Amino acid sequence: MNRSFSRLTLVVLMAIGASVLGAFAQDKPRSGGVLTWFDYGDPGRLDVHAESPLVVQQATAGIWSGLLHWDPDDPTKLAGDLAERWTASPDGKTYTFNLRKGVKWHDGQPFTAADVKATFDRILKPDFKGPKCGASLKPIVASVELADPSTVQFRLKFATPAFLPSLASAWCRVAAKHVLEKYGDLDRPEAQIGTGPFKFKRYERGNMVEWEKNKDYFVPGLPYLDGVKQYILVGGPTQLAAAKAGKVLLWDTWPPMRKTQADELQRARGNDVEIYQWPINTVYVVYMNTTKPPFNEPDMRRAVNLAVDRQDLVAKALEGAGVPCAILDPKLVGDFALPLDEVQKAPGCRQPKDADVAEAKRLVEKHHPGGLDIEIAFRAAGNYADRAQLLVAHLRKIGIRGTLKSYESAAGYAVYGKGDFTMIATQDRAMDTTDPSNVFHIVYTTEAGSNYARYSDPKIDDLANRALRETNHDKRKQLYWELQRHILSSAPGAIAVGWVEGWFFKDKKMMNYKPAPTAYDNNTFMKVWLKE
Amino acid sequence: MRAFLSSITRFTAQQPLGAAGAVIVALLVAAAVFAPALAPHGPKETAFAPYLPPSAAFPFGTDNLGRDQLSRVIWGARLSLYVGVASVLFGVTLGALWGVVTAYFGGVADGASQRVVDTLMALPPIILALALMAALGQSVNNVVLALTILLAPTAARTLRSVVLSIKASPFIEAARAVGCPHWRVIALHVVPNTTATYIVLVTVNIAYAIVVEASLSFLGLGAPPDEPSWGAMLTAGTQALEAAPWMFLVPGLAISLTVLGLNLLGDAIRDVTDPRLRGGLG
Repeated sequence: MNRSFSRLTLVVLMAIGASVLGAFAQDKPRSGGVLTWFDYGDPGRLDVHAESPLVVQQATAGIWSGLLHWDPDDPTKLAGDLAERWTASPDGKTYTFNLRKGVKWHDGQPFTAADVKATFDRILKPDFKGPKCGASLKPIVASVELADPSTVQFRLKFATPAFLPSLASAWCRVAAKHVLEKYGDLDRPEAQIGTGPFKFKRYERGNMVEWEKNKDYFVPGLPYLDGVKQYILVGGPTQLAAAKAGKVLLWDTWPPMRKTQADELQRARGNDVEIYQWPINTVYVVYMNTTKPPFNEPDMRRAVNLAVDRQDLVAKALEGAGVPCAILDPKLVGDFALPLDEVQKAPGCRQPKDADVAEAKRLVEKHHPGGLDIEIAFRAAGNYADRAQLLVAHLRKIGIRGTLKSYESAAGYAVYGKGDFTMIATQDRAMDTTDPSNVFHIVYTTEAGSNYARYSDPKIDDLANRALRETNHDKRKQLYWELQRHILSSAPGAIAVGWVEGWFFKDKKMMNYKPAPTAYDNNTFMKVWLKE
Repeated sequence: MRAFLSSITRFTAQQPLGAAGAVIVALLVAAAVFAPALAPHGPKETAFAPYLPPSAAFPFGTDNLGRDQLSRVIWGARLSLYVGVASVLFGVTLGALWGVVTAYFGGVADGASQRVVDTLMALPPIILALALMAALGQSVNNVVLALTILLAPTAARTLRSVVLSIKASPFIEAARAVGCPHWRVIALHVVPNTTATYIVLVTVNIAYAIVVEASLSFLGLGAPPDEPSWGAMLTAGTQALEAAPWMFLVPGLAISLTVLGLNLLGDAIRDVTDPRLRGGLG
């Protein structure tokens, strides 16, 4: 019943999206033209296996193929990409993938199962830091084996419903063995040799990423576009100005538009654009470094948890487009999410906040009489500066005086990765799939890819791992509910402010584009075409 | 008192634009000094609804985070004036001393110091300021430091040229001839004759420093974002140009009026202190 509800919710969302976006299937696809859109920042390094910023995935999305992907015609359904078909063993612990034949890499070399093995051996290597695909698959996959030149087998540590969605993640793209051997990684533009619908043409730092049509793409007739240009546009006003001027045809990326921006765009472009509201499957997190004072002290983390006014942050920073307090968003994962009624009564979430703020103040005073000064970091991206200012205002009420320190996007990630911070005011973490396990293995577990707080709680690890292994829906739901209740009532290093939603647009001349349930999917544009 | 009023009346009659500038600057100083009493709310208080248009309760409206724009503009005057005055006092004074001493002694040290000045002046000021802020990190005091480094070379070059002409004067030669030590010649005979130039440099550069601070904050490299900097307020205003035009109009007007007032006053002071122009007026 509840699983049905979850699927039904997604189907309804997709249906609404499709109807809002218009009936594009009725027109005959037309080849040619270049799609223009934007990256919110400069990707810097381009290794899709080793990096985690959306800009990296977005800059390289059309270059790569996965074994599986989310169907461009219905992004809620899994579909084969390089895998023609796949089967699971009766115990659910071995998956066999039969690969497409005749596929070529962009440099003309033939694609084989050895490339798949080389890719996943790289990602699963214990010392390889893969904050996305690696973080999702390492707990699940024991080994990848070659059965023959066009068949690979994944042996899992345990049966889990999270395996196929994780494998279909846009971060689990298949790279060429010979390219990995030649360059050692996928950081450089010259290493962007994939099997995807587009070839990597150009990367001008801070300016533009450009793809061109792969005429030897393994799906006959695709892609329709001659190319895709992604301008690197930093800052909301620049992005909005480009949209208003018609220089970008699509805004289906992070950061979403706020309502005021969407209204401004609608006034400027009128009927030329279709504007829609959409959940972006992204959680808005505040991190405290649990290895350093003052947040190595659980009382101080508890104080911050009580003081942060999630409703205020969502109302002002997201202009109301978000689900405050939720660790899992019921719109995205259905009944795996703790009911919002219960979430809204949790410490720190309940309104009015007077009692929580008083208790937080008492906790701060207990450990730091007279209050304390801390540095609060944020990346200069999206509207993070606004969110950070609101957080500083909340903390001031309990005696924590924050000084803001901003970092350029890529530099910020480096600082967070090294743990060289006291508090991160805001960091959105986008999910790779709609599986409920994702957020815990990205943010909360000890080995989570974005556990910037360096927090370790054996109970969280245990519950997350048990839920990952659980195949019975109801039992799995109970485990996730217990996990959410534990996180809401304890003092972790990461606070989920809420799930981010926002407004997006596509130009009406862009056809056959369907928004996906995650920010990372359906941005290869393999089936998109331009009307004129 | 009567003499003071009379001199103000004469100044106003002779320099009406300068007097207007003085009024604007006086208002700015009053806002800066009495900000805690004048501002109806705290500049960082986010307790109100966002995007409220100007009204009796919020004469300049509220911003996107629900802060009172009037309070932020008033506190912004304090920040602007602090940065403007502090950086100019440090930068121009440091540069002036540098120019006076090296010009007085001349020789290799003077030549070397002028090459340093050439190097610093060859760099576009805003680029140099951005680079310094990127290296120093965001804080109000670092803005002052960056501006000090930016302003010192110009002051050094200007004062050096003044001192070179003073150094050749007979009274300096006479002072040296009667056995005055160098420090005495510099302190009692050279420096007093550079005062007019120094004052003009100070008044003119305060406006410049305020604009550079606003530019740095507008670009996100000046004061931390929650500080009530007019430049940062302008940046926030660009997020909602159509929905909340008061968000950029108010700080934009504050910057424009302040710079206009300081420039008008600076021009008038220059005219009054320039002996050639003073003669003409008299």
